[in-house]
Amino acid sequence: MRDIPTGGLGRRSFLSGAAALGGASLVSACGGLKGTGGSSSDVLKIGYVSPQTGPLAGFATADNFVVKQIQQAVRGGFTAGGVKRRIEIVVKDTQSNPNRATEVTRQLINSDKVDLIVGSSTPDTTNPVADQCEANGIPNVTTIAPWEAWFHGRGGKPGEGFKYTTLFFFGMQEFADCFFPMWDRADVSSKNVAALWPNDTDANAFRQGLGPMMKKSGYTPVDGGAYQNGATDFTAQIATFKESGADLFTCTPIPPDFQTFWKQARQQGFKPKLATVAKVMLFPSEAEALGGLAANIATDFWWSPAHPYKSVLDGKSAKQLADDFAAETGKQWTQALGSVYSLFEIAIQAFKEASDPKDRDEVAAKLRGMKIRCMSGDLDFTAGPQPGIALQHPVGGQWRKGERFPWDVVIVDNSANKAVPIGGDLLPTNA
Amino acid sequence: MGWLNAIVQGLLLGGLYALFATGLSLMFGVMRIVNLAHGDLAVVASFLALALVSGTGLPLWVVMVVTVPLFALLGYLTQRVLLQRSLGAGPLATLLVTFGLSIVLQNILLEVFSADTRTLDGGSFATASFHLTDSTSVGYLSLTTFLLACAALAGIQVFLSRTGLGRMLRASADDRETASLMGADSRHVYGIATAIAFATVALAGLMFAMRSSFDPSIGPSRLIFAFEAVVIGGLGSLWGTLLGGMVLGVAQSLSAQVDPALTLLAGHLIFLAVLAFRPQGLLAGRAA
Repeated sequence: MRDIPTGGLGRRSFLSGAAALGGASLVSACGGLKGTGGSSSDVLKIGYVSPQTGPLAGFATADNFVVKQIQQAVRGGFTAGGVKRRIEIVVKDTQSNPNRATEVTRQLINSDKVDLIVGSSTPDTTNPVADQCEANGIPNVTTIAPWEAWFHGRGGKPGEGFKYTTLFFFGMQEFADCFFPMWDRADVSSKNVAALWPNDTDANAFRQGLGPMMKKSGYTPVDGGAYQNGATDFTAQIATFKESGADLFTCTPIPPDFQTFWKQARQQGFKPKLATVAKVMLFPSEAEALGGLAANIATDFWWSPAHPYKSVLDGKSAKQLADDFAAETGKQWTQALGSVYSLFEIAIQAFKEASDPKDRDEVAAKLRGMKIRCMSGDLDFTAGPQPGIALQHPVGGQWRKGERFPWDVVIVDNSANKAVPIGGDLLPTNA
Repeated sequence: MGWLNAIVQGLLLGGLYALFATGLSLMFGVMRIVNLAHGDLAVVASFLALALVSGTGLPLWVVMVVTVPLFALLGYLTQRVLLQRSLGAGPLATLLVTFGLSIVLQNILLEVFSADTRTLDGGSFATASFHLTDSTSVGYLSLTTFLLACAALAGIQVFLSRTGLGRMLRASADDRETASLMGADSRHVYGIATAIAFATVALAGLMFAMRSSFDPSIGPSRLIFAFEAVVIGGLGSLWGTLLGGMVLGVAQSLSAQVDPALTLLAGHLIFLAVLAFRPQGLLAGRAA
C-alpha cells in the first residue's frame, strides 16, 4: 500500500503524532494536531482510490501528476459555504483488488475522516468504493467503468439510483454509436463482424448488449467463443473468423491476450479491413508493445488532447494538460488523465455549490444534480440513463505513427460527438 | 482441415510450454525445489532483454544470445546465495523463499518498468509464416521455439549422460550425502543445475515475450502451464516434459475447436486425469 500524504498532515505522521501523545485518545489528538494548521473545518478532505499497482496499474499512471495539478490549481484555496477552504487529498492504492478497494475506502472513511471520495478505473474499483460510500453516507463520484456494470452490478433501482454515489462514463449504446459509423464508412464486402469476446463480465456485457445492437444495424456478429482470459493460443477463433469472411473486427479481451491474438492473427492470415477494439489499445504503451501491427487499429476515445475541453479550475486546456504531463513525467498522455482530473473538478465544484460543504447529504445532492463543463466535456448528472450518471460520448480514433512519441491517436470519426475535431481520414487497418 | 491445423498449432505451443517447464523440472528433479518464482523469472528475463534492446540498440538476436548466459550466471548466484541457505531448513522453507522471491520480483519490476504491457519486437520474424496446407500456416517463431525446446532438452540430456559434471549432478539428485562422500560438491552442482534452469527459463521467457506480451504481474499465470507440463510428462523426466507440454498444447487447441470456452479447462482436466490415474506422469523417469 502506498499512502501519499498530500498537503497538511499525512495519515502516518498523523498516527505517529497520535501515538506520541501517549494516552490521548485519537479524537482529541486529531483536534490537537489539526489546530496547528488552522481550523479543521477549513480543510476539505478528498479521498482518492485507484489501482496504482497490479494488472490495472496502467489506468493510474497519471494519478500523482493529477493530484499535484489539482493542488496547484486550488493552492490559493476557494470559497465554499462562505468560508475560505483548502483541500487535502489522501491517495489509496487498491492493488487492483476489489477487496482491497473496500478496505482502503473504509480506512478513508473511518481513519482519515474524508469528506468525499473519488475513485477511478474499472468496475473492480468503482463498485466496491461506491458500495462503501453508499453504506456510510459519503458523497462519491467515480469514473472509467461502463455505467451498466456500475449501476446494475450494484443492484441500482431503475429510475431511483443511489443517494450518495455518482458516476460519469458511458455504456453499451455509446460504444455502438462510436463503432457503427466507422463500420458504415469502411469499404467492406461482408457485414460479418468478427467478435473476440472472452468469458468475463465486460465481454459478456458486450455479447448480450452490443450483439443485438449489431443485428439491428444490419451487422452479424461472429462470436469467436467465450474463451478464458489468459489464453495462449487463438487458433480456433482465428479459424472461425477466417471462415466467416468477416472484414470487420471488434473485441474486449484483456490487454495481454489481445497482443497474443493480434500477432497470431497476422501469422495465420486473418487480416480484417477494420479493427475497432474496446478495452484494449487505450494506452500508448499498448500500441508501442504491438509495434508495427498497431497501425490503424481503431478504438473509443472519451478523452484526448484533441478534445476541446478546459479545466473548470484554472482554464487549462486538454492539450496543455497532456503537454504538461509529458513534460513533467516524460510519458505520453493517457485517457485516464482527463477522467481523473475531472473527478477532482467535480468534487470541488460540489463543495463550492453546497451551502455547507461538510454536510454530506447536501454535497451528495449537489453531485447528483451536477451540470459541469470541465476537462471531460459537458457532464450532466441529471440527464443520464439513470439518476446520478453523466454520459460521455467517445469518438473513434486510430493509432498512427507519431512524431513526438512512437504512436499517437488521430481522431477519425466524430459522429458520436461533433465537438471533437477530426484529425484525419479513417484508414483501413489492413489494406 | 481445422483439426489438422489445431493439432499442428497445439504441438508447436507445446514446445513453448516444454521449454518453459524444463527449468522447473530440472530444479525439482535435482534439488527438490518447487520454484514458484519460475514464471516471474521468465518475465525478468524479458524485461532484461527489453532494457538491453532499448539501452544498447543491439538487434534482438544478439541481446538474446547475451541474456541467456547472463541469466545462467544469475541462476548460479541465486542458488549459492539464496536458495542454498534455505535448503537445509526443509522443503517448506525453499517453497516460501521462492514464493517471496516471486512477490519481490513482481514489485521491483513494477517499480522500475511500470505496469505497461510490453513485448519484444521480433519484427516480421514474429508474424511471418509459411503454409503447410491451405488452412494450416506455421509461424516461423512457433517453429523456432519448438526446435529450441527440442535442442535445449537434447543438450541437457547429453550433458547429463555424457559429461562428468552431468553424472555428478545425477548422483547428487539420487543421493546427496553419498555423492558428497564421493567428492561431489553439492553446492556447486546445485548451482550448475540452477544455472541451466535459469538459462532455459530465460529462453522461454524471451520466446513468450515475442509471441505474446508481458507485464510485471503476468508471471504466475505462466507458471501454471509449466507446472502442468511437468506433471503430465512425469516429474524429473526431461523428454516427459516435452511430451507433457505437447499433450497440454494439443489438448488446449483441440478443445478450442469444439468450444473456445473449454480451452484452459481441457488442459486442467488432462492434468487432473494424469494426477489421478498416472501420478508418476506419462514418462516416469528419474534422469533428473
